[in-house]
Amino acid sequence: MTATQPVTVYETEELLTGCQAVAHGVRLADVDVISAYPIRPYTEVMDQISKLIADGQFDAEYIIADSEHSQFEIVKHASSVGARAFAGSSGTGWAYGFEALVVTATDRLPVLFLVGNRALDDPGAFGVEHNDALAVRDMGWLLFWVTTPQEALEHVLLGYRIAEDPRVRMPCALAMDGAFLTHSQHIVRIPSPEAVKRFLPPYNLGDRVLHPDNPISIAPQANEDWVMELRRQNWEAARRARTVILEAYREFNAIFGERYPTPFFDEYMTDDAEVVLIGMGTVAAPGRTAVRRLRKQGHKVGYVNLRWFRPFPTVELRACLSRFQAVGVIDRDFAHGSPDDGGALLHEIRSCLYPARNRPAVVNFITGLGGRDVPIADAIKMFEITQQAAKADHLDGFVTWIGVRE
Amino acid sequence: MATIKRVEIQYRGIFQKNLAKYIGSDIVLIASRMGQTGFSNGRYSDSPERNGIPCKYFAFVSPDLDEEELEAECGAKLDIDEANISVVLDDTMVKGVEPWAWHGIRPINEKLIEGGTMLVVSRRQPEELLKWVERKPFSWNLAILSGDASFAGLWVNKDDLTRERVLGALAAIDPALISIEAVEGYLRDKTHDERRVQAARAAYDEVRGKQRPVAAGEGIRWPYAIPELPKWNQFREGIVVQAVPRHFEIGPNGQSRNEQFKRFTTRTQRPVVRFDLCTKCQLCWYDCPDECFDPTPDGLYDVNYEYCVGCGRCAEVCPVEECIVMVDELEFEDNKSPWEHYKRDKAGYIAWAEQKKGNRRVWYPFVTGTGMEYREGRRMAEGERKAVHRPDIARSAQAQGVVVEEPVPTGPGD
Repeated sequence: MTATQPVTVYETEELLTGCQAVAHGVRLADVDVISAYPIRPYTEVMDQISKLIADGQFDAEYIIADSEHSQFEIVKHASSVGARAFAGSSGTGWAYGFEALVVTATDRLPVLFLVGNRALDDPGAFGVEHNDALAVRDMGWLLFWVTTPQEALEHVLLGYRIAEDPRVRMPCALAMDGAFLTHSQHIVRIPSPEAVKRFLPPYNLGDRVLHPDNPISIAPQANEDWVMELRRQNWEAARRARTVILEAYREFNAIFGERYPTPFFDEYMTDDAEVVLIGMGTVAAPGRTAVRRLRKQGHKVGYVNLRWFRPFPTVELRACLSRFQAVGVIDRDFAHGSPDDGGALLHEIRSCLYPARNRPAVVNFITGLGGRDVPIADAIKMFEITQQAAKADHLDGFVTWIGVRE
Repeated sequence: MATIKRVEIQYRGIFQKNLAKYIGSDIVLIASRMGQTGFSNGRYSDSPERNGIPCKYFAFVSPDLDEEELEAECGAKLDIDEANISVVLDDTMVKGVEPWAWHGIRPINEKLIEGGTMLVVSRRQPEELLKWVERKPFSWNLAILSGDASFAGLWVNKDDLTRERVLGALAAIDPALISIEAVEGYLRDKTHDERRVQAARAAYDEVRGKQRPVAAGEGIRWPYAIPELPKWNQFREGIVVQAVPRHFEIGPNGQSRNEQFKRFTTRTQRPVVRFDLCTKCQLCWYDCPDECFDPTPDGLYDVNYEYCVGCGRCAEVCPVEECIVMVDELEFEDNKSPWEHYKRDKAGYIAWAEQKKGNRRVWYPFVTGTGMEYREGRRMAEGERKAVHRPDIARSAQAQGVVVEEPVPTGPGD
């Protein structure tokens, strides 16, 4: 897909929340079917999409469901008949539709979902926590986090491009921090429809599309004589997705400018760093700010913002993190009763680093749970603890809670 | 080398589920009275069970292994590795068993080992059964326990002493598995009912020493291919299966059907149609849950026996006496079109159908009762149409000009 004629790549600039940016992404991706059911912070997206439709800026089937379970089933089926489909949810709403989420993955239907991260739950907590989106991590989903409204909009396009690739065809969860990103306004450059067209081909499910001219049966009863082979197929798709992701970002950069030199994760001031923090989502802002302040004091620190969680960039991240003396893993989630009582990301990263020749010390920070903010001072504190870990011969505890009243 | 006795109980899904499970449990409890270790389980893949589908239950007994080792050898497996004894609770299953799609139609004695015994509940002679059974490269034994297939519903158990009689027969086949004394003691302690003890003893006496040796090579060359399941990269992604393109034309086998799963091994009885008595009312075609009836150019309805599961619905709704009658599946050699036979040789077909039907009509009362129910059949002359004695459908038969022998009662609404 090479550009024959130059087009205006970014048309206009608007002040948009993360949710509004996603709505524009959905409009630009020319999504055919949207199903909606409210739960904050996701609700803002369905509001904004319905407004775009009402204002005549966007033409799509917009279906209000009676629950998240129906909401997710609707887009799953729409996707199977060849409609590009979008849905989203948050927290317990996401959990309520879990059965549909699981079968969307095994049916290999490339629907894009927004997960506006929300705590799981009780008592009615609606602040950000990553455990909701992380629940699909082992289910055959593509799963990534964005950090700004600009990234959010662009990743609607990237998400569809990657998910719909015939080598992949997996559902895709675009995760963003509730409140801090979903409801936070930034100036966003909006791509032109012409540029988007160059990047995102029409949705084509090929010979898997359910249509009277293509009589097929999707998901008949499969028992122990088939399931392992089906899982093996799903694994292969996730493996192929790593290649497709690199291709898609390369293409995106060629059209829209060098937006994402490193697709899976961004490194910040890591070249000569001895110690880094790694996290997902908006915690990158205090993290990178802390790096700049500590650098001024002569500390060799850096920050790694992990974008893609599934498929996990095992090889790339192993090569990256094994360069450092110590790695502090920031979890905006908690894995109850897990090894060392840490967070989900800790376990992924420690596991990833185990075969590395140079294994850095790894410590873990549980922070920002239930929507608590992570100020710069806390990020600096996390760097300090990680620096101590680099020097210590022996570590008493791997996991520190940051920002808890104690 | 440890001794393990493996028993499989082959049964008709739903109708004999409780019976098979009880027999499996009984074997374990009786063997444990004899100081042996045992456990019992069912083939998990058989669930969800469907009416009549061939299923399996298992019992494993060892005199010298502990429970965990016996479990490791025999448990948590999809099917039995091999069977010392295979119990067949409905003799029509000797024609082959296909429990689900892609499994293939397997021989009833597939898992039987050299010197093993197949115990069949049947009123047939050994030769009548062996003409369906796959030949083995080794010798084995056939034992017959005289009786009808005991059918019940899902939530009930038909207490017709089949359970006790099978235990007695097993004691006759292998006293080291369960001895007749242990069977009797178990039944007496458990039920305080001498009738049950006597039933087991009578079956023991019936079967003991009367096993029919089956020589190596005796039986048939198995006619059905066993499908090979594709590797993970040999079938389409997304759990997509190509549908059978819908196709319909008048005549035998004129409708498209799923080639991967012909469900006829589900059948204990098949419907035999006297086409000359048919009023073309369409009820069989309309009511058949498996769409087994093919409309023919002369307005009749051919039966596709490859797909008929023998549910009996057509015989139930047919308004004409003796027009559709359910007949024991072992009477039939093949699944060929009966309508084509009829068109070829009308008189010959009627004679053939009547010979298959005999003069006994058989019902399996699934919910209650103690055995099968019989009624005398009537041999109708060619074209001799009479309405069945059921007011609801006799009215519709009358409307079509069928002779009704008795006045049809009319309801208050008429």
